[in-house]
This record gives sequence, C-alpha cells and structure tokens, in this order.
Amino acid sequence: MKKGLIKATDAFERIVHWSLAISCLILCFTGLGMMFQSFNFIGDLMGGLKSLKYVHNFTGLFFILALIFTIRMWWREAGIFSMPEDLEWMLCAGGYLWHVDHPPKMGKYNPGQKMFFLTVAFFGVIMVITGLVMWFPFSFPVGLTRWMYPLHALGFVVIFAFFFVHLYLGTIGSPGSLPAMLHGWVTRAWLVKQHAKWLEEMEEKGTLEVYGEEKKGAHGH
Amino acid sequence: MKGIELVKLIDTSLCTACRGCQVACKQWNELPAFRTHNSGSYQNPPDLQWNTWTLIRFQEYEDAKGNFKWLFRKDGCMHCTDAACVKVCPSGALHHTTFGTVGIQKEKCIGCKECVAACPFNIPRYDRATDKVTKCDLCYSRLRDSLSPACIKSCPTGALTIGAKDTMIRKAHARVKVLGGDANVYGDKFVDGTHVVYVLTEKPGVYDVLPVKPHVPLSVMAWKDLLKPLSLVAVGGVLAASFLHYIIHGPKTPDDADNQTKEGGA
Repeated sequence: MKKGLIKATDAFERIVHWSLAISCLILCFTGLGMMFQSFNFIGDLMGGLKSLKYVHNFTGLFFILALIFTIRMWWREAGIFSMPEDLEWMLCAGGYLWHVDHPPKMGKYNPGQKMFFLTVAFFGVIMVITGLVMWFPFSFPVGLTRWMYPLHALGFVVIFAFFFVHLYLGTIGSPGSLPAMLHGWVTRAWLVKQHAKWLEEMEEKGTLEVYGEEKKGAHGH
Repeated sequence: MKGIELVKLIDTSLCTACRGCQVACKQWNELPAFRTHNSGSYQNPPDLQWNTWTLIRFQEYEDAKGNFKWLFRKDGCMHCTDAACVKVCPSGALHHTTFGTVGIQKEKCIGCKECVAACPFNIPRYDRATDKVTKCDLCYSRLRDSLSPACIKSCPTGALTIGAKDTMIRKAHARVKVLGGDANVYGDKFVDGTHVVYVLTEKPGVYDVLPVKPHVPLSVMAWKDLLKPLSLVAVGGVLAASFLHYIIHGPKTPDDADNQTKEGGA
C-alpha cells in the first residue's frame, strides 16, 4: 500500500458488500437461466437446470443473510438523506451528467449511492419475500402466489439494471472508487472530489486513518 | 392423425360415469393408485393428483325448477392454444405439439411448480417424490402412432371422441342444437381455443371447479410479456447509457492533488 492513502472501508464492510454482491450476481445469472429458455445453457454449468434451481434457491438463503447484514450496517449512513446538500446534489445530478463548477460536498455516501442502497434494500426484501413464496407455492393462496412471479421479475429488472450502473460508476465511470471495495485504501484526491464533507468530518473527529501515519491527530498535510 | 390439429370432444350428455377412461389413463400411462377414503361420493380420488390425470367429477345438482340432476364431468388438461403453463415453463418441459396439444417432457421438468399456479384450470399436479409436475399429455405416445388416446379408446358410450379440430367443433355445435336447453359448447372460445372441448348439458357456472371465463392470468402476461423483455431492454439501455456517458461526458476523475481548487474544463 502506498503511503498517504486513506482508509475508506474496513474489512467487515467489504466482506458484507461482496457477500451480497456475489450472491446477488449468482442469483441474477441463475435466474436468467430460468427466465429465458435461450439461457437454459447456464444450467449446463451446474449439471442441469434442476441443479440450477437448487443453486438459485440456496444462494437465496445466503442472500437473505447478506441482505440483513447490509441493511444493518448501512441504513444509517446510506439510508437517510441529509438535507440540504443531498437535494442540491440531486438538482445538479452530482455533476455526473453536465458540467457543474462546484457540486455540493458529500458525506460518506452521495444521494446516488443512497438511492442505490435503498433500491437494493427495498427490492432485496421484495425478492426474498416473493422468492420464498415461489419456493413453497402450495402454502399460499394461488391468487397471491400468481403475483409473486411478476413481482420477482420486476425486482430483477430493477436490480439487474442498477447493477450495471453500479458496475460502471464503481470502475471506469469514477476512477479511484474501486479500491474502496478492494482493499479499502483510497487517495486523498479521490476523497476530496467525491466525499469532501466526509473527509472533513474524519479530520475533525480524528478518525482519519492514513497509511503509514499514526491515527491520532492526522490533520491533513 | 399425424400433424393435424386435433380436438378431443367430451360430450357430457353421453357420459355414464363408468370411469373406464380414468382407469385406462392409469393403465396406459403406468400410474399407480393410492388407497382413498369413502367420502360419500363415487368421485374417487377426490381430486386430480400427480398419478391421476383424468377424473370423473360426480355432482348432485338441483336446477331452478327443482329437478334433480346427477352431473358427470371428465376433468383433465384442456390443452389450451394460448397455454399459460407453456408460457411460464422455464425449461421447455411443457410445449405445444404438432397436434396442438400441450405435451410434457418429464426429463426436462425441474419441479419449479410455476405451471401449477399459472394454469387457469388448475390441472398440473406436483409430485414431491420425483420433484416433477405431471399432467395429461393426451397420450402423445399413442397419437404419434395414429392411435386414439387411452381414455377415448376405453369409452363405451361415445362420450369421448377425437378428430380434426374444425370437424369436432362443428360436431359439438350440432350436438348442442340437438340437445337444446342450456346445452353449450365449452372450450372453443377462450385461450385461443382449447384442444379439449366439452358439450355441457348445463351452463358452465353450474359445474364444480369449472371456470366460466378461463384466461391466461394477468400476472402471467405482466410477467412474461412485459417484465421479461423489459429486463433485457433495461440492461441494454443502461449499458448504452454508460457507454455514451463515458465517451460524451467522461468519467468523474479526481483532480490532481496540487490543483484542487480549479476545475478542469469539461
């Protein structure tokens, strides 16, 4: 690790993130294998479509766990909007879509990330509920069961599309972001650009961790 | 019979509820029977099961004039043209055959039970032991060899017949004319026409568990006709938008550490 990098995430956050991300991706692709007959071949990788069904169902159980940890861990930081800067940010789209001289300074999460978190949390819960009913359809009235399938599909439409937005903005769309979820250390320049308010807060509280420096009294420069 | 669209006609006015069809179905399809309990009706087993693909329903009915009637209806797969089960089946186990019937390829079934909820006639049944769904396939193995289905072969009264679709539907309407009264043809007017058609002696609403206006559930259409294609369109849109964003607006790159105050030109 290079000297001067700043710690953005701890190991627990990254483990929870990747538990959710990997289980979600497995669910998306196994789900695709069942949603489209032209994607049935995804089942061949697992020894047939029936095995794929089991992989999907049991990964779903892991997803439930990951989702619980995700919501517990992030709902305060990423589930609540902080006004007025979040509104200002939304009005200028955070400077992502057109040129903005000075987008408002952001805390640990910007409203885009918050919306992504809320979407994943909300539709994640929808996927869990609808998925469980679909797993045990005979325990529920058929009128209810029938609507679980389109709801599950709706959740997929939203989550799968958002996943690609997340992928883009976590990699080439916002260079410097990826390390936050790989090893957790980011550059100061990236923090100033993306989460200046958070950086200031950490400096004030003295919680800033700079690689190669003592934690206490890390007042920049 | 090869390659032509078939219709099996069930003329309830000729049915004597001998249940020969029920037994013949089990025999040809090698379906076991389970011990049941006397429930005060000849209807046995009480409902369709994974090992009972066709069932004579016995119904005691008193019409508006106080006339008692004993109604017999052979229940089983209707072989819809616009079949909800085929629409939702993820593996292609349920499929349309060249006869227009709905076949089921057992090896392909993954036991997801989606067809069970989708069927407007509540026909498919799930077998926990094999983790598969079963239903009548109108004896595809016999049709393929130009034999009539086992149920029809066994029918002593001519209540069950099979033939080319148009011929059978014409026959059904002709029969209804002869019967008069409340008699009606059931099956040719919904889900784009079923390949099992009834001549009912009473109005459809009179019969137990027979839907009056069966249709592919709205939920299945929302799911398969709208959300399914939308999922790919949405992903395509997002990928295209991301690409355009990258080449038009460019990524959001951190400024150089020494040059933080001045924004670079867009």
